[in-house]
Amino acid sequence: MKRNSWLLITCLVIVSLLVVAPALAQDKVKVTIFVGLGTGTDPDQITKQEELQARFNASHDSIEIEFLIVPHDEAGTRLLAMLAGDNAPQLVGPNGISTIAEYFDSWADITPFIEAEGFDTSDFYQESLELNAYPNLNTGLPLGLFPSFVLYNIDMFDAAGIDYPPTDYNDTSWNYDKLREIAMLLTLDSNANDATMEEFDAEDIVQWGFSDAWTDTRGMLARWGAPDVGRPTSADYKTASANSAEWVYGLQWFSDGMWVDHFIPTGEQQSGIEATGAAPLDSGVIAMFYTHTWYLGEALFDLPFEVGIAPAPFNQNGQRIARIHADNFTIPKNATNQQEAWEVMKWLTSEENLVDVCLIYGCIPARMSLADDFAAALNERFPDLDTNVIFEAIDYLDAPNHESWVPNWGRINDALNFAASLINTGENTDAQSVLDQANVELQKILDEYWASQSS
Amino acid sequence: MLNIRSWSLSRREAAAGYLFISPWIIGFILLTLGPMLASLYFSFNQYNIVDMPRWIGLGNYTRLFNDPLFWQSLKVTLYFAVLALPSGLILSFLLAILLNQNIPGVRLWRTLYFLPSVLTGVAVTLLWVLLFNPQMGAVNQVLELIGIKGPGWLNDPDWSIPALVIMALWGVGQNMIIYLAGLQSVPAELYDAAKVDGAGRVMQFRHVTLPMMTPVLFYNLVLGLIGTFSYFTQAYVASGAVGEVGGPLRSTLFYNLYLYQNAFDYREMGYASAMAWVLFAIVLLLTLVVFRSSSLWVYYEGELRGKG
Repeated sequence: MKRNSWLLITCLVIVSLLVVAPALAQDKVKVTIFVGLGTGTDPDQITKQEELQARFNASHDSIEIEFLIVPHDEAGTRLLAMLAGDNAPQLVGPNGISTIAEYFDSWADITPFIEAEGFDTSDFYQESLELNAYPNLNTGLPLGLFPSFVLYNIDMFDAAGIDYPPTDYNDTSWNYDKLREIAMLLTLDSNANDATMEEFDAEDIVQWGFSDAWTDTRGMLARWGAPDVGRPTSADYKTASANSAEWVYGLQWFSDGMWVDHFIPTGEQQSGIEATGAAPLDSGVIAMFYTHTWYLGEALFDLPFEVGIAPAPFNQNGQRIARIHADNFTIPKNATNQQEAWEVMKWLTSEENLVDVCLIYGCIPARMSLADDFAAALNERFPDLDTNVIFEAIDYLDAPNHESWVPNWGRINDALNFAASLINTGENTDAQSVLDQANVELQKILDEYWASQSS
Repeated sequence: MLNIRSWSLSRREAAAGYLFISPWIIGFILLTLGPMLASLYFSFNQYNIVDMPRWIGLGNYTRLFNDPLFWQSLKVTLYFAVLALPSGLILSFLLAILLNQNIPGVRLWRTLYFLPSVLTGVAVTLLWVLLFNPQMGAVNQVLELIGIKGPGWLNDPDWSIPALVIMALWGVGQNMIIYLAGLQSVPAELYDAAKVDGAGRVMQFRHVTLPMMTPVLFYNLVLGLIGTFSYFTQAYVASGAVGEVGGPLRSTLFYNLYLYQNAFDYREMGYASAMAWVLFAIVLLLTLVVFRSSSLWVYYEGELRGKG
């Protein structure tokens, strides 16, 4: 009988613990961090995020974080399902500027949190604070930046006996005319004739001088100094401005580069390069590739040639515009526990943690005070690259940014990419008529948007 | 309390029947009919998923008819249907006839021709993208061997749909098997009678095989029609792989692709729902036309025609 009593008591204690333990655990407010719209889904990134999660949870009594990693291909529909099902994650990220624009209606404004505690944002690059700030909406604290530059194949320059591009940001000789000139010399047919020679066979090109293939139309055209820079609309978003003189100049520069001077791969030639499975510069058939810092993490592995780095060239108006990408974490506007989400956002972007977070996602920390730490880490991996070129590029970023929100963002971008396709396929190589046509389509999309807002 | 014993036999049988099909009925109501009705409601709303739907009446439907991309997507789908549907039906029928002959290794041949229809989806589409690559693809390299400069295929707005049609023919084995089953069920005595009447092989095909196969043709036509208007994955993957979903130059902007873009890329769920219902109406109409026409060309052996 006595033994049975002890057994009964033991069972009761175990059952009580089982019932109470989860309740105790639930004292911590859970913040789910949705990862998958951008970077963060590679196996090694998952491991590092789990380590970050363990570190946060061990050091916080009232908040518990959990990274929800969703494969990139299904992340968009999964997030929409969660938002529609009133089951929004507390944080989403890391998001690029384009991702934020794409889901623009979904985000909470963090301005009240900043103002409520007088949060100090002075250590962040000022420009990075503006990249995701819109009228009445600040989507999140800056996490990291991805400045842009030209990477080049040193062996090709050596073989052609051409001087390397300068790394000095004050050297005004490095402009798009100069880039075109050397790119043509670096463009070769199978008989090693370059694109300046009469014997050059444009049907049989085996090496191209320049490529900016991994961007969209707004990215291609942001560098030419248009009043709206990378945005195809006026500041009030009501008037389309895709056929500005600067954008027409820029698109014609690309069109001539493909169809007249042949130093840029056409759409069909680009498709052939991509079929090799290699990234543009890594393919070994591109001499200069315009790209961002994320390329340093995604490519440049075991190359049989040396790689150099140069700043974005000056444009036809004597300006230097180096387009930029940026990441942050955002709080969905219908998420619960937004105050706790804000606390986690601050932790992720804090001076103590931001270098680690950026090493996971491959970005430059958005805090100025961390530049030296991160430069040291970069120099360790790429000892031959002049990392000053990367950091200085931040001063020349495109604002308004080429990925920034515009009304009906997806439709506008698709219409502009259609315009670039006309050039890439050779269907219409006249930039003025292509962008005039695009502008009409954009204006219609904008008018529809504003009409739907007022009805 | 329910006293089932007092029920009549037919009532008890009916109850048992309903009980057995109830899992399907419940599933249908919750997972198909419910979402269908919801999409019908959304089609009259402006709805971006995040905010509450806002009633706009017929706004989405009237906007559709003024949207040039809606007409472009319809044109692309019809162009594809006109090429892919007849070629798929004819090729699979011809293959079935060939593989219905008494030839050595016929089982191996049937397996080989059926196999591709099992291997479909994203992986095979990506394989075709490589085959069709204008610079390095095997298709153009073979054409070059016989002195033909191959087109840009998926990179060329004029050749992208023919390329997708060729990709679609990769899966004709599915229809071929159905035709084969139909061919083997044609009674041998009909051929014997035709031979007695002096019919050659062509006449036998014209007057025996073809009429007896019309129900199978009809079945494959209806399914093919619906399948053609549901075409999505291959176009999405193939055009995306060459740089622009629905491209180049919107030449592969299929109806379902544009619907998907509206729903998930532009987050205009109401507009996408209206597109879905218009598609439903189009497919229903075409299917009804095919059904109505079937009395003119489909022969059912057991069917009594006219007064005779």
